[in-house]
Amino acid sequence: MTRYTLITVLLVLASFVVQQFLPALTALHHSRVLLVQLVFLCAAVTVGQPTMLLLAFVCGFLWDAQCTLGVHGGDPEIYNQPVESLRFGYSILLFGAMGFLMQGIQPLFKQGKWYFSALLSGIAILLYLAAEYLIITFARGGFTFAKATALQMAYTSLLTMLFSPLIFWMLFGIASICAHSINPEAAKKRRRHF
Amino acid sequence: MKPLNLIAILLFVSGAVWALTRSERTVREIQCSYFSAIAPFLKSGSQTEAYARSFLDEVQHSKVLDAELATVNREMGRLRIVESRYRELERENAQLRHALDFKTASTFNVATAQVIRRQPTTWWQTVEIDVGEERGIGTQLAVLSNEGLVGIVDRPAKDRSSVILLTDEACQVSAKVEDSPEVGILSGQRGQFEGAPLLRLKFLSKNATLRSGQRVFTTGRGGIFQANILLGTIVSVEKGAEDSEALVRPAVNFADLGTVFVVLAKDPPKK
Repeated sequence: MTRYTLITVLLVLASFVVQQFLPALTALHHSRVLLVQLVFLCAAVTVGQPTMLLLAFVCGFLWDAQCTLGVHGGDPEIYNQPVESLRFGYSILLFGAMGFLMQGIQPLFKQGKWYFSALLSGIAILLYLAAEYLIITFARGGFTFAKATALQMAYTSLLTMLFSPLIFWMLFGIASICAHSINPEAAKKRRRHF
Repeated sequence: MKPLNLIAILLFVSGAVWALTRSERTVREIQCSYFSAIAPFLKSGSQTEAYARSFLDEVQHSKVLDAELATVNREMGRLRIVESRYRELERENAQLRHALDFKTASTFNVATAQVIRRQPTTWWQTVEIDVGEERGIGTQLAVLSNEGLVGIVDRPAKDRSSVILLTDEACQVSAKVEDSPEVGILSGQRGQFEGAPLLRLKFLSKNATLRSGQRVFTTGRGGIFQANILLGTIVSVEKGAEDSEALVRPAVNFADLGTVFVVLAKDPPKK
């Protein structure tokens, strides 16, 4: 259990490095694979609540360290209506909310129905992007929602979701190496069957 | 609820509140530490990426010719900027000598940089360039291309920097329209990622008489951007109840950014 948790944290950290090299796909409305979010979502469903919250904090903290923009600066007499920057740390709460969403279907995952979790990871990413966009709109004012933005969010969620079986496969592999069962009920069923 | 879960939630909320209440300076320090920690991975990854790209280029072109062309293009771009700057200085100098009998002295050093990564985040329009603090890059320095203003340095690291593009909503520039008394604030528009994004020039006078095709330049006011850098051309004007706004087509082709120039030294304040 401890080894599995530790390796999951390392996997999340590795995903931050890989994320740096995943480009936006201009042909698909600048969508991209959000690997960090995906690894977190897949891991969140395989661990208990305290570990999920630890992962949410690590992911949100590092994600904001990676993405937060500085203030514009300049003479306040000229730039008297600066564009608001988002507060560092808001992603921690978003990751936490996504984690709770994933844990909601943990009973299904424990029964071996991982594909529900894979599907929900796509929905969670869509909700995450929508929430992030709404926070930006709330902070900066002037609600605009272009079709391109909607398509960008939809394609990003879809693309990311397509990779979730791969992440689950890795997590199952890690669990197996650590002699830890992440879906005990399914394992019990399998044993009964044989 | 299990006591352990309750403790975890309390710790999580405390951690989130702690992060949310960090000052701008602390956030910058955190970002600096984060990027220092992942710098070795980024460097080796960028090198691999560059090798792969140069291998693909080799298939299509002669590497030697390509390198020569890149050097010539880079030098030409640099000289164009220096030339335009000197022309402006010459004109300004003549005006001041003639009218006020003042002398001005300016420095306009630029550092050449290559764009190494485009738009690494979902919502912000940023790029990364391959020069950083080692080459004297600091925050809020203007970044130019042969065509005009590209953006502003946001986060310099040791050997790379993050640049907010002019097409991002957060990049505001004090701008003026040629052959017109109109001045305003130019910035990008939210959610414009497609094709050629348009910029929005705000706070123009209510009865601004502008025509399509008029060029927009920096005013030099505000303490960030030098004066007379080309920003774009007017596309259309929208009249409002209290002021007018214009849509501006950027001078720079942001989809094809390669070599850029960071203005290292700002003009000393005019007397």
